[in-house]
Amino acid sequence: MAAANGSSDLSSEMEVDAFRRLFPLRYHEHHLLKSVRPDARKLGSARDTTLALGAVASADGSALAKIGSTTMLAAIKMEVMTPTVECPDEGSIAIEFHMPPICSPLVRPGRPAEAAFVISKQLSDTILSSGMIDLKELCLVGGKAAWMAYLDIYCLDADGALFDTALLSAVAAFSHLNIPVVSLNDDGRIVLVSEDTVRLKLEKPVNTEKRKLKLNALPFSLTCILHKNYILADPTAEEESIMETIVTVVLDSSYQLVSLNKPGGPVLSHTSVIQDCIALARRRAKELQGVLNEAISDMEVD
Amino acid sequence: MAGKSGSTPTTYSPSPATRKKKRIPIADADWVRPDNRGFYQCRPAYLRTGAVSTAAGSAYAEFGNTKVIVSVFGPRESKKAMMYSDTGRLNCNVSYTSFATPNRGQGSDNKELSSMLHRALEGVIILESFPKTCVDVFALVLESGGSDLPVVISCASLALADAGILLYDLVASVSVSCIGKNFVIDPISEEESYQDGSLMITCMPSRNEVTQLIVSGGWSTPKINEAMELCLGACSKLGEVMRSCLKDVVTDLKE
Repeated sequence: MAAANGSSDLSSEMEVDAFRRLFPLRYHEHHLLKSVRPDARKLGSARDTTLALGAVASADGSALAKIGSTTMLAAIKMEVMTPTVECPDEGSIAIEFHMPPICSPLVRPGRPAEAAFVISKQLSDTILSSGMIDLKELCLVGGKAAWMAYLDIYCLDADGALFDTALLSAVAAFSHLNIPVVSLNDDGRIVLVSEDTVRLKLEKPVNTEKRKLKLNALPFSLTCILHKNYILADPTAEEESIMETIVTVVLDSSYQLVSLNKPGGPVLSHTSVIQDCIALARRRAKELQGVLNEAISDMEVD
Repeated sequence: MAGKSGSTPTTYSPSPATRKKKRIPIADADWVRPDNRGFYQCRPAYLRTGAVSTAAGSAYAEFGNTKVIVSVFGPRESKKAMMYSDTGRLNCNVSYTSFATPNRGQGSDNKELSSMLHRALEGVIILESFPKTCVDVFALVLESGGSDLPVVISCASLALADAGILLYDLVASVSVSCIGKNFVIDPISEEESYQDGSLMITCMPSRNEVTQLIVSGGWSTPKINEAMELCLGACSKLGEVMRSCLKDVVTDLKE
């Protein structure tokens, strides 16, 4: 008790910045008592979110997503593969998440961050199981050729809620994706077709209609931190490092639960807490849907 | 075919059906550059500091389609076990994204560019100002559109300034390609692919000192002189643009 009093006396004399570094947990709890967070947010609200489509000219589909300072760049490149014998009329999607050393002081070159593998796996599980993309849509010539969509997501700035931002950029990149027009040549290889030859009907493209992927249900996610009785939505890197229990909820556009992930942590949550998290995620999914629609309509105006 | 399940099948990116082998008419006097620039005209440069919030300093540079982010961390403890040193150390790393090039790459570290960046910067930084510690300069090429190394170097120098690392001067870097009888400054990837020779200069514009000069291909002495003059002129102009980028940030803060 004496120690606690000592440090609270100290807190009045010490500069705020020093106190924040020396007693990070106490610093945050002071804020939480007043239902506010150090960046002036309410506990349940997320940071400003922006989305820009078509950020990478050399890719077939791309998007830059920003939640607060956390920045993700996602790009899709379409390549051709021979479908497997088991699923001759299905294409494939390969998802990779990268954390290059520029994104955070914790990542060093030559040693990939552990978090990168976890998020990579989580992303591909979510995207493939959400039913967003029907793999049959990626088929070009049954049994002979299908699309392989390589989705690469680069973290440019890591300031918390990495999975949420990565998923948002991935969904946006898929909605920006323009599948190139191709035809089958005599050697059985798929080749690109230019607009002129299509107009002159010199070559018959195999995918005249399927230029855009039909996206069924878009997944949107929200990560929350549980600390004591508080639920903090969309944490920053600092909050994530201090309070360790996180819950990630993924909902699709009709608010059905796609995945719920609580990887351990010291706080054991009641079902009511999980329900509160889902309610927050529901509100967030609506927000994100709005952000995505706005980005798409901005793109169409240009 | 690919055999085991789980392994990624071999893929290829579809190439254009009618492959036109474009041979640029070097002899033509009225040859224009693919992006309609003048021979001695650089691409418009967009520079901005403070791109990455978690870094000590950072900068984003966009020259046409070449897009680069550089983050600077430190001075901090060196992770490599090394001998005691009175001066600071500089650690550089350049990597590409897998979608940086037209054909999907592996996006791995580029050792050659990393060491070139190190050599271009080590003469500029006042290493004595941070003994026993290490400054990390990490670059990521988001999109490669030609003249990647000069853009990375100029961007890194801005990021170092943003991080408050003591420098003798900013460094600006510009390259020139020699195609036939012509020089083209700040070449794009297409021009680099059919160049006969190239010359790159990294210099400190206000001190008029060169930290790095790379010449490749066959050059005659008068041509080297001409190309160097061209590069140095462009460097001093780029230096001014970089300086004003740093000043803008400060005036924005004051307002």
